[in-house]
Amino acid sequence: MHAFHIHYRNTQGTLMRILTAVSRRGLSIEYLVASTSGAGHRADLLLEVNEKQIGQLCRDWHAIVDVTDVRVGTPTPEMLNAATGFVGPHPPVSAGAGGRSASAAMA
Amino acid sequence: MLRGAEIFLQCLRAEGVDLMFGYPGGAIMPLYDALEGSGIRHILTRHEQGAIFAAEGHARATGKVGVAVATSGPGATNLVTGIADAKMDSVPLVCITGQVRSALIGTDAFQETDVFGLTLSLTKWSRLVRSIEEIPAVIAEGFHWAREGRPGPVVIDIPTDFLKAKMEFSGPAKFTPSPRPSDAKAGNAFPDSVISLLQKSQRPVALIGAGAKLSGAIDELRALLDELNIPTFATVHGLGAVEPSAPYYLGMVGMHGTRAANMALHENDVLLVFGARLDDRVTGDPTRFAPHSKIVHFEIDPAQLDRVRQCEIPIIGDLAQTIPAFHKKVKNARLPNWSEWRAVACGEDRAELDPRGLAQPTIRFLDELFGRLPENSIVLADVGQHQMWAAQRYRSASPRGFITSGGLGSMGFALPAAVGVQLSKPDATVVCVSGDGGFQMNIQELATVRRLNLPIKMVIVDNKYLGMVRQWQQLFYQRNYAETDLSDNPDFVEIAKAYRINSQRLQEDVMREYPVSEETGDRLERFLNSSEPELLVFDCAPEANVYPMVPAGAALSEMLFEED
Repeated sequence: MHAFHIHYRNTQGTLMRILTAVSRRGLSIEYLVASTSGAGHRADLLLEVNEKQIGQLCRDWHAIVDVTDVRVGTPTPEMLNAATGFVGPHPPVSAGAGGRSASAAMA
Repeated sequence: MLRGAEIFLQCLRAEGVDLMFGYPGGAIMPLYDALEGSGIRHILTRHEQGAIFAAEGHARATGKVGVAVATSGPGATNLVTGIADAKMDSVPLVCITGQVRSALIGTDAFQETDVFGLTLSLTKWSRLVRSIEEIPAVIAEGFHWAREGRPGPVVIDIPTDFLKAKMEFSGPAKFTPSPRPSDAKAGNAFPDSVISLLQKSQRPVALIGAGAKLSGAIDELRALLDELNIPTFATVHGLGAVEPSAPYYLGMVGMHGTRAANMALHENDVLLVFGARLDDRVTGDPTRFAPHSKIVHFEIDPAQLDRVRQCEIPIIGDLAQTIPAFHKKVKNARLPNWSEWRAVACGEDRAELDPRGLAQPTIRFLDELFGRLPENSIVLADVGQHQMWAAQRYRSASPRGFITSGGLGSMGFALPAAVGVQLSKPDATVVCVSGDGGFQMNIQELATVRRLNLPIKMVIVDNKYLGMVRQWQQLFYQRNYAETDLSDNPDFVEIAKAYRINSQRLQEDVMREYPVSEETGDRLERFLNSSEPELLVFDCAPEANVYPMVPAGAALSEMLFEED
């Protein structure tokens, strides 16, 4: 697993462009947090990638107009825990449907 | 007070737009309503894909930004292939799409499509305009990114109510990009390591791609290559960058490249790449690509480096700057004598096609046709076998003289693109070579050709198959010609007549005579010299193949030839 930290200006679609660089390669996003960082924004991603993909992703991200910096690092324990630990209701539970899932309520 | 549509058009004029291609519809109607008197000529095509390919043709022929206009929903989705095409081939393009009125966005309104979302991975930059006040800034920024660095497509999606609204307009905006921290790190000094590498090299070569032409540094490139005097070849988009008569020039490289070019690309020990992506059609099997090479990659877009093979020395920057800087270093360096290597790489035993290949009637036909072209000609090729034959036989030193959909390989590209080219270059002889499959993908643009009386010389190489797919089926799928038979094609001559376009048919047998008869020669002369649109259908043997061919997954040195 590799951690990627992408700094960007939060203009229309920039975060989505960052993510489509991942999805076009069929990679799973194990962890993603996008937040403000200083004067700009930052997306932290955790991905299972090989060395070649690291290079390709970093260059693709850097080519996005409003990406200002790209860093690769070691995942933090928090990222690794978040990537494996979370189990939530899916589809979301409908408040007024007696605990039935949203898809069941729509059926 | 001006309407948003009027402001929009004034901002386009300020960006130098005087020609755009499009197709009206509900959400974009206010822009069309304001067109008259705007100073912008609008060309109505018969399909939005025709419009965007025509805009691409204009951009590819002139280097200017092409502009395509469509309405929301299906109008916008019909642009998508052209957007992807422009991205792959680095074509500066601005696509303007109408959107449902802002209050309806997200409600699945009539003809609403999230064009911004669906083109995110295909565009270099895009915006959904959020207010009338944003219009000038969005247009200025959009044109900046379409042109800047590696050119590419931009989408501007504008809700119809902002086109109708009014505001005080103080003039077009100017855009200045914010510097990125990494930009400051780039050095100006040209690295000595490239010269050191060349000094140790015994078999250097140069590969020329589209980027060399886009940089505009053709004279500088040719001067550098003359100085280096090393075996040189070009990608399909690099054709025309090098004088074909240069003694070191080996022609096109890649899947259907010349024997000499592919062998030199396989055998070299230093590969200088000028503005090429090194995609799979050029490299063959990437694990066996240029196995002895150290690569020096001159490239404006860092995202293109190391995609297939890691380069030893990346030279990132506009080739208009890096080529002269390199040339200066070369002039002052003592470089080895590579005459022995040149003699091997450019030797007669590596002649570009074997004699049987040269006798193939379609190749003869293209040679006869191209041999009669005046100097200011532009050849467009669609996608398929005819494209590769045309690329193999094209002999011109005109950097923008050969136009095709190379990266995406979009069938149906050539005819509408020829519309854009002919409008941009009214004095040029524009020849559009298509196959029978691709021609039918945008055949409706014959109406545009007729309406504008564009003297495009349209050629259909008609083998009654999806020829390139059939060739692969023959060679790699045991002749299982699944769904590639087009033997029930319409009569293209009669179709052209229905559009009131002169048309004729030429049987391939006339190309078996050598030299061709005076009558055939005269027919070709009259075809090319006509001041009217003309269509010529060349009946080609159904199972003619394009050779040489590097099979998918093979190394460049493992070419198939006609005799195989």
